[in-house]
Amino acid sequence: MASIIMNVSKYVILILMALYTLSCFTIFQADSDGEKSRKLNKQIIYVFLIHFLSYLTLALDDAENIKNIVVFYGVQIFVAVLYMYIYHVIYPYSSRVIANNMSFLLLIGYTMLTRLDFSLAKKQFIIATASLVLVSIIPWIMDRYKNLRRYGIAYGIIGILALSLVFVIGVEQYGSRNWISLFGITIQPSEFVKILFVFFIASMLSKHRDFKQVCVITGFAGVHMAILVLEKDLGGALIFFVIFIFMIYVGTGKLRYLLAYITGGVMMVLLAFVLFKDRLFDHVMIRVNVWRDPWADISGDGYQITQSLFAIGSGGYFGAGLTKGSPDVIPVSESDFIFSAIAEEFGVLFAMALLLVCFSCFICFINIAMKVRNRFYKTMAFGFAICYMFQTFLSIGGVTKFIPSTGVTIPLVSYGGSSVLSSLVMFSIMQGISTIENKEAKKIEEERRNLEEAARKAQKA
Amino acid sequence: MKKREETSKKPQEKRRRRKKDEQQLTPEQQAFLEREEKIEKINEKLNRPVLGITYLFAFLIIGLMGYILHFMIVEKDQVIANAANSRLDKYAANVNRGDIMTSDGKVVATNKGDNRYYPYDNLFAHAVGYSEYSKAGIELIGTYYLSDSNANVFEKFVNTLREEKNEGDTVVATLDYDLQKTAYDALGNADGAVVVMEPDTGKILAMVSKPDFNPNDIDAVWEEANREGSESSVLLNRASQGLYPPGSTFKVLTTLSYMRQNPIEYKRYSYDCSLQESIFNGVSVHCYNHKTHGEQDLSSALANSCNQAYADIGTQLDVEAWRDTLEEFLFNKSLPYTDASATSRFYLEGDTDKGYIPQTAFGQGDTLISPLHNAMIMATIANGGLMMKPYMIDSVENYKGARIKKFSPSSYATLMTAREVEILTSYLQKVTEEGTAADYFDSADYRVAGKTGTAEYANGAHDYSWFVGFSSVEHPEVVVSVLVEQSDVNGVKATAVARQVLDAYYQ
Repeated sequence: MASIIMNVSKYVILILMALYTLSCFTIFQADSDGEKSRKLNKQIIYVFLIHFLSYLTLALDDAENIKNIVVFYGVQIFVAVLYMYIYHVIYPYSSRVIANNMSFLLLIGYTMLTRLDFSLAKKQFIIATASLVLVSIIPWIMDRYKNLRRYGIAYGIIGILALSLVFVIGVEQYGSRNWISLFGITIQPSEFVKILFVFFIASMLSKHRDFKQVCVITGFAGVHMAILVLEKDLGGALIFFVIFIFMIYVGTGKLRYLLAYITGGVMMVLLAFVLFKDRLFDHVMIRVNVWRDPWADISGDGYQITQSLFAIGSGGYFGAGLTKGSPDVIPVSESDFIFSAIAEEFGVLFAMALLLVCFSCFICFINIAMKVRNRFYKTMAFGFAICYMFQTFLSIGGVTKFIPSTGVTIPLVSYGGSSVLSSLVMFSIMQGISTIENKEAKKIEEERRNLEEAARKAQKA
Repeated sequence: MKKREETSKKPQEKRRRRKKDEQQLTPEQQAFLEREEKIEKINEKLNRPVLGITYLFAFLIIGLMGYILHFMIVEKDQVIANAANSRLDKYAANVNRGDIMTSDGKVVATNKGDNRYYPYDNLFAHAVGYSEYSKAGIELIGTYYLSDSNANVFEKFVNTLREEKNEGDTVVATLDYDLQKTAYDALGNADGAVVVMEPDTGKILAMVSKPDFNPNDIDAVWEEANREGSESSVLLNRASQGLYPPGSTFKVLTTLSYMRQNPIEYKRYSYDCSLQESIFNGVSVHCYNHKTHGEQDLSSALANSCNQAYADIGTQLDVEAWRDTLEEFLFNKSLPYTDASATSRFYLEGDTDKGYIPQTAFGQGDTLISPLHNAMIMATIANGGLMMKPYMIDSVENYKGARIKKFSPSSYATLMTAREVEILTSYLQKVTEEGTAADYFDSADYRVAGKTGTAEYANGAHDYSWFVGFSSVEHPEVVVSVLVEQSDVNGVKATAVARQVLDAYYQ
């Protein structure tokens, strides 16, 4: 009986996922607010059901631990549903699509983590929930303090100092020295400096957009990236570089900057490669070689990526079913390689739908960026959109062998305190910008109505 | 992408509304609209690069999704069929392992109760292998297909509901029952190996290795083979994993190397084999049984397998170029074969002691080759110079016989010119018509091109007997490679085994 339920759940989850993904894109087409609201409520039902069926499967599989799983499930769904409904009551101008997607991604992460390692899932849930409470004041702060755009240089300096902390109290993890240890907690500063960096560029470009200003920004960005390269966090450096060049392009509207930076970037990489080949690039070369032919050393350097491909391929389109695969064989399957774990058990179709959901988040962010008229918020929203999508692309592209693996996480889904907190900060800032934008739009609409009203009155008189 | 429609829809609506009201606008309204339109225009301009980058990212994501689909459709099967994929066994838990069938429909591996059952006992021991322990043969390379089920979807669904296992797919081998049986019987009690393959496809029609074992008793066999201090090599597939000195069969490639290095002069090659022994590079060389062959050109040297002539040729070869030719033919390289195979070895380099050259030229020395590799070299000649990758799984069917997948032949590389093929074929034909194999084939009603070989080992105490060849000469359709260990003791001659196999093929 249990196995029938688990098998049927597998396919029902896939159908629900398809419906959820579809709604993520059709929601932009909703004609009226009523229809939009109905669609958003339906999304919550899909999320609820996917999550319920997943935990049902997990509980049936692990009868000894069933009490813990049920309690954990209950707490999660309470927090998520509360969040999805309450957040909109507190911030009526916030984006419900973003709130739904955020909860959905977190819940998928919890589910997979529960399957992989119950204690990690609990840890992730506690960190994420505490973070949710903490970051919920961000939209309020942004709405209240409109002068955030003034502190451009300060963001840059704080960012550089925070990144440099690694040289003072740094610890090494996974071959990169990009973590610091504070009071027994390890934090990855670059996750947070990323946000300051977006603030920095948006703020600088909102003041001036001349050549001099662009040079100043380039100087600061260069220092950021140089520190990351010295920490051997090349994935991080690449994310900073991409955020930097695209924000400059959007902020100034000049395509020649973009082309110049790409050319310059390529030349810098070549130069650095020639100069510091052995000191900085040995672990990059290993990763590139592994990417080109992981089969040459299946049990050594190629182990992680070949296990990942075995997982994705063996699971097939429909997946092995939750608890039926062996994603725990892949090293760091809870973090960098969570996509492969999801693909193996939920199926490649589900995993691809997940990628589309992430892409719809990106479209939401871009949508906000295009609607908001203030330059500072526009450039910033765009910066976060790029940051989010590029990181997701690096992570999923890396574990599927589309590009060399860079060891980055999928925001909100992968395990990791720093990653989850910084992603939540990012999503909350987007909610803040959405609030500002919606309020502004409403104000303009009111002004228009008032003028119409006045005109009608004048005509009658 | 829908977003763009939306953003472009809104200003249009606004404009329409504006037009309608235009006649009755107050100056305040006019000013408001003008201001809004100006801001909107600026905003649209600011949004243009945002839109461009959004398309760029959409393109990246579409590329990634396309890649994942490509992986699933094209690469997946090959990737996960890898023996290093520990997941296959876990997945097999829901499937009754499928059958293995020969190309002529004989079931050679199936299930009997909870056990794997091999109806023909020892006959297919190495080719089909076993599914327990580390697995081997088709049971290993086909394990992904055997433990997958492509039964009717509805039936699978019902089975899942009933918590019953699904029926695994059937792997259809390229093996031919009659040829396998003939080769197996012809080898008799002798140790050795037989490989029969199609030169134009690479299909392996028969693969025998002895000593063999009964895969139905794999528990006992495995225990015995892995007992500490055990010297049993019954589990070793000599056809693909056994390495032997090639003996005189190596003269084929020595001839080719000589032809390549002396493209015109080779026709006029001559050697007078009138002494029982001669000295080359300081080493004494004699022919088999101390025979003398008299005046030899290149074709008669090959036909008579004249060691002295080949020792002489060896002294004339440029060793580096010789090595290059051999490495083209996959010496010192892994064979393009899905199952486990040994790498054949050729030791000579430019600075190796010249004293090793004469014996290496006629196939003694430290050169080693597997029977499969030797078959592939013959098949390359038979196939006009194009080497095909050998394979043993022809297709996959579901348990009811509906075809799921067909493996098509694939080529490795073109290794010889048409001219080289033509000349070598005529030389090899002479071997079976007037040379060392003539006695075995004079009554055959098909024409054979081939080469015999005898390699001494254990300091000349024992002989390996070789035959490699193909038939027919006009339309090559089958290649045979036979190796017999200790043929001086058991009296089994490789050429005689080959004759029986070829007779069976043409029956």
